[in-house]
Amino acid sequence: MSSLSDHLQTDWQAMTTNDWIGTILTVVVFLLMVGAYFYVFRPKNREKLEAMKHIPFEEDNEHTGDPHGRK
Amino acid sequence: MEASLERKYNFDVVRWFTVMAVVYLVVGASVGVYIAAELAWPALNLDSPYLSFGRLRPLHTNAVIFAFGGCTLMATAFYTVQRTCGARLWSDKMAWFTFWGWNLVIVLAVITLPLGLTQSKEYAELEWPVDILIAVVWLSFTINFVMTIANRKSSHIYVSNWFFLGMMIMIVYLHVVNSLAIPVGLFKSYSIFSGVQDAMIQWWWGHNAVGFYLTAGFLGIMYYFVPKQAGRPIYSYRLSVIHFWALMFGYVWLGAHHLQYTALPDWTGSLGAAVSIAMIIPSWGGAVNGMMTLSGAWDRLRTDYVLRFLIIALAFYAMSTFEGPVMSLKTVNALSHYTDWTIGHVHSGALGWVAGISIGAIYHLMTRLYHTEMFSVRLINFHFWTATIGTVIYIVAMWVSGIMQGLMWRAYDEYGTLAYTFVESVDAMHPYYAMRAVGGAIFLLGAIVMLFNILMTVRKSLSEGSLSKARALPAAA
Repeated sequence: MSSLSDHLQTDWQAMTTNDWIGTILTVVVFLLMVGAYFYVFRPKNREKLEAMKHIPFEEDNEHTGDPHGRK
Repeated sequence: MEASLERKYNFDVVRWFTVMAVVYLVVGASVGVYIAAELAWPALNLDSPYLSFGRLRPLHTNAVIFAFGGCTLMATAFYTVQRTCGARLWSDKMAWFTFWGWNLVIVLAVITLPLGLTQSKEYAELEWPVDILIAVVWLSFTINFVMTIANRKSSHIYVSNWFFLGMMIMIVYLHVVNSLAIPVGLFKSYSIFSGVQDAMIQWWWGHNAVGFYLTAGFLGIMYYFVPKQAGRPIYSYRLSVIHFWALMFGYVWLGAHHLQYTALPDWTGSLGAAVSIAMIIPSWGGAVNGMMTLSGAWDRLRTDYVLRFLIIALAFYAMSTFEGPVMSLKTVNALSHYTDWTIGHVHSGALGWVAGISIGAIYHLMTRLYHTEMFSVRLINFHFWTATIGTVIYIVAMWVSGIMQGLMWRAYDEYGTLAYTFVESVDAMHPYYAMRAVGGAIFLLGAIVMLFNILMTVRKSLSEGSLSKARALPAAA
């Protein structure tokens, strides 16, 4: 590869249906992942998501009254 | 408190899976130590085909991965899903079918593999009738889990259940596709794939067995049992969500890195290596998330031996998820592939991470399932040190052996002739093979002590009558 353009060169005419399906799925998955990062790290969603961390202690809390379920 | 849940949930099947997991840990590790000794002292195969390394090695891998690992996953998944969803298992009968069916698979593996009945596919050696049984039993496990979630009392599905669910769904289609074969008899079949496609499918399965079964499933364990044992919630729930989705999206790409410098197209290996490197980020994010759960309570590690198992497992998880991507790079792979370095890497993940997190979870479960204290906390401490020291000796031996092998195989003189014969490299490995057998034996000693401690705890619970008292309590709301 002599240059970056050579390295990135693609023969679009030679792409098969399978190649297109794979390429499109890859881009879609990448965008979904970007969306997941955005959703999770958006400050607005912080409190809502972090509240879920207490689920394993909910049954304990009913009995101990400790918000963290510590015994 | 756990006692009042005895009638609300199905803990019976969890108890059986838990105890059987420890039995299989001892069996699988025993076979492992024996075949490690065979490599150091080949006369130990006693000239019997049934005891040869080639037949016992798949028995070892099947016993530790599917018998020990499978029973641990099924015990913890069935326990966690009930506790975090506030709902009893959807079907008790189906849960027992899963238990007996999975154990039947294990018995069939113990019979067929030493007889040499194998498809010769790594981590998928069992012949087609057993493959069908695995698919049916695994689906029963999955359906019961999904339906229990569907019946949950909480609005949100806790992250550990997401990891278990991801594992279950992925393993269904990985197992089915990889096992597609044309039977030519009751005990013989041929894969429908051939040549390089067969190799690609094999490692698509092989690495995802590591990624989804041995990683995602055990991360499900980590996200429930580390917070519970530490008595504090996971450090960052948001990080756990990203950890989950990044693993689900990323792991399926990695298989090709097992086939560098083969007939597989070059770009697939490069892609596998590139995504492997990218996977360090979520893996380390998850490991740090687990460890930071102890933030402000690190002193607990001084006294809580169960927590020690869980945290040291996370350290091994971080280490092996860094080592793996590095080994997938072509320049490193040129040295490491086909050498004992790979065996060392696998065992730092298997003994350090998978066994460590499982053992911690099982000790945690025992006191809650049998409503009594462990028979001996000192024996847990003894087990922690034997497991850790045994693992370190094992992986150090394999690192040194593997790098030496790689260097000897590629060394050549000024005329371009190989500097060493293959036999010379085998001879040079002997001390490290003996050292590996010693490390494995130390690990096995700890597993035997654990089995003794577990059985004595069951006996203690029975003699105290604590389990029957718990069963007599009214069901918790």
